[in-house]
Amino acid sequence: MAPRWIIHADLDAFFAAVEQRDNPELRGKPVMVGGRMGRGVVAAASYEARAFGIHAAMPAARAQRLCPHGIFLKGSYRKYQAESARVMDILSDYSPTVEPLSIDEAFLDATGLERWKGGPVVVAEEIRERVREECGLTISIGIASSKLVAKMATSTGKPDGLVLVPQGGERAFLAPLPVGDLWGVGPHMAERLRVYGIRTIRQLAEYSCDALQRAFGVWGVQAYQLANARDARAVVPTRVVKSVSNESTFPHTVFDRTTLLHMLMALAEEVGRRLRAKGMRGRTVALKLRSADFVTQSRQTVIARPTDATDVIYAEAKRLLASFHLHAGGYRLIGVGVHDLTLAAGGQLPLWLEPEDRLSQRDQAVDAIREKYGMGAVLRAPLVAPAETWVTRVFAGD
Amino acid sequence: MNVSCLQENLAKGLAIVGRAVATRSPLPVLSNVLLATDQGRLKLSAMNQEIGIVHWIGCKVESEGEVTVLARLLGEFIGSLPNERVDLQLDKEELTLHLTCGRYQANVKGIAAEEFPPIPLGEGDPTLVLDAALLRESIEQVAMAAASDDPRQYLQGVAVIIESDKVVLVASDGFRMAVRTLAVESGVSEKTEFIVPARSLTELSRILTDSEHPVEIRLTQNRNQVIFSTGDIHLVSRLIEGTFPNYTQMIPADHQTEIQVSTLDLMQSARMASYFARDGANVIKLEVTPDDEKGNLTITATATELGDNRSDLEAQVKGEETLIAFNARYLLDCVDAINSPDVRIELTGSTSPGVIRPTDDTDYVHVIMPMHTVR
Repeated sequence: MAPRWIIHADLDAFFAAVEQRDNPELRGKPVMVGGRMGRGVVAAASYEARAFGIHAAMPAARAQRLCPHGIFLKGSYRKYQAESARVMDILSDYSPTVEPLSIDEAFLDATGLERWKGGPVVVAEEIRERVREECGLTISIGIASSKLVAKMATSTGKPDGLVLVPQGGERAFLAPLPVGDLWGVGPHMAERLRVYGIRTIRQLAEYSCDALQRAFGVWGVQAYQLANARDARAVVPTRVVKSVSNESTFPHTVFDRTTLLHMLMALAEEVGRRLRAKGMRGRTVALKLRSADFVTQSRQTVIARPTDATDVIYAEAKRLLASFHLHAGGYRLIGVGVHDLTLAAGGQLPLWLEPEDRLSQRDQAVDAIREKYGMGAVLRAPLVAPAETWVTRVFAGD
Repeated sequence: MNVSCLQENLAKGLAIVGRAVATRSPLPVLSNVLLATDQGRLKLSAMNQEIGIVHWIGCKVESEGEVTVLARLLGEFIGSLPNERVDLQLDKEELTLHLTCGRYQANVKGIAAEEFPPIPLGEGDPTLVLDAALLRESIEQVAMAAASDDPRQYLQGVAVIIESDKVVLVASDGFRMAVRTLAVESGVSEKTEFIVPARSLTELSRILTDSEHPVEIRLTQNRNQVIFSTGDIHLVSRLIEGTFPNYTQMIPADHQTEIQVSTLDLMQSARMASYFARDGANVIKLEVTPDDEKGNLTITATATELGDNRSDLEAQVKGEETLIAFNARYLLDCVDAINSPDVRIELTGSTSPGVIRPTDDTDYVHVIMPMHTVR
């Protein structure tokens, strides 16, 4: 079999980089994107901010302490999505097999591109060039014979790097890296492996597979295989989406049901829009609530027909909310999700439309308007002037 | 109870009612078959949540009685016996059925017959009488168009619409619809309409395979069950509540393109294309070029990863040139249901429903909604 070439591409400090690109004053400065109003976490930090020890998923309050003069931005997820789509489009120019891993990274199967494009390195250089030229962003790339090694190669080359691990050199490349860097090994697992004296990937690779199996079960065997650079996972062009959900942390504790309902409506709109964009429908609607004292509760309900209509999602979420005895201490977060997804008829036209289909069609028309003129172009009446004005801002993503 | 009958008759009878035995019922008695003497014959009954089947077989009754026993066990035991006389003797005290056939015997423990829910048999004049072969053919032409798991219950059934001089059977899963009209000789006094689960009709069709007797159709008094009686077999089915969409509105009144093509050619080409379509969205495309004498119907399917396929069929094409995409399965199901040598396909552009019917018969119409096409 011809050797596989897999390219992993990951945008550098994506959200922060977009902000720095769009606002020259931010360049060279520590920029953090994420919730800034006391709560929330850092979603992305520029490399300047990382110098202060700030990283993604760090609570915003802590980041602020580490870097008091840092610039906090709320960011616009919509803008990042659009940017992400442009980058993914560039990637798909080079291979039909592109698997987005998240908003800012993707795998690309470059096997067999040698004759057409002069090999994976030429392709990678061209991608990096085009992302720089067309999007004004830097993207780091790792190239190897497997997904695992390609992804890890990217991390070693960041930022703005290109790392190729030659065929046959995979084990040697992984060996010296700390075991916690192995894709799939979290901090907790790394801690447990340390008990066995395993600190580097080499130590894991040379450990007894049987002993790992006894200690960690199937996972132990898998980790052993990965440490030995055995990863046959294929690049799967479209990821199967199992659920779509959105949640929002409030800028301050919310006590009243009306504001919760307004947020619910805004979230139902977003969940519905994402479902429709994916051409998916779901049968389970879930509601998540987190109280001011961090007690998280969730409930879900199954509906008769899979839906992607905002009204249906909202109505179900609202019923779920009504079933809760509201916490007197108030709430800090609410979330709406739709699970149990199926592909919406996939291009098959219906013989007739049911009332919910009409709702869905109306929503699609609204989606098209918002796509062109922004989320605020069409608002549901309660969100035009809610008592808590931030509700609309959160919704409109600005 | 003390009866004797032939192994062959009993085994066949148990196989027929066995189709209605509940598989996972909370009511243990529904896993059983009811055996009861009834006017010199042995009556076998089984039922589940959807249907009940009653079948009378010939036997010699020494003494009357009834009992229920595990259907699967009895069926398997009787099925393994040689074709000889089987004696069934009930020990009423122990509720145990003692079976003897030549060198073989068995005791099967039972549950009291009183616990078996009554199956209505229907009385009085039937609502409708149909020829068994005709009904069977009609069921096979429409039942496959019903939905298998749509939450809209009525789409899982076949609507039976009875009018003064005809009966119409209609089924649809929301994307395609099959309509079969049967002429009725004896006038029906009142117009009536009910929805039978498609699965029940498929079972009925199986039973009708060997039936030479006409099928009498009756509704129960409360109109929540329908009874089909043919010879010595009754099949009772629950009815689906709800209103079936008005089928006449969904058959397009006119069209822009009319194609006449050999049923066999279309079947073969569609099947071939379906092999290429199944990896994707199951889309096959029909491209039509009009010509009075030698028109053309091209059927294509493309699998991005695997390859593609194309068939050019000779066809009589009237009207406008067009391109339409259908779900391969829908087209195959439909063509499979058509018995005439040629079919007529009526199209109006690529987003309106296609109408497919036999050329020599106005009693069958199949409507298929197309899929989106990217030219």
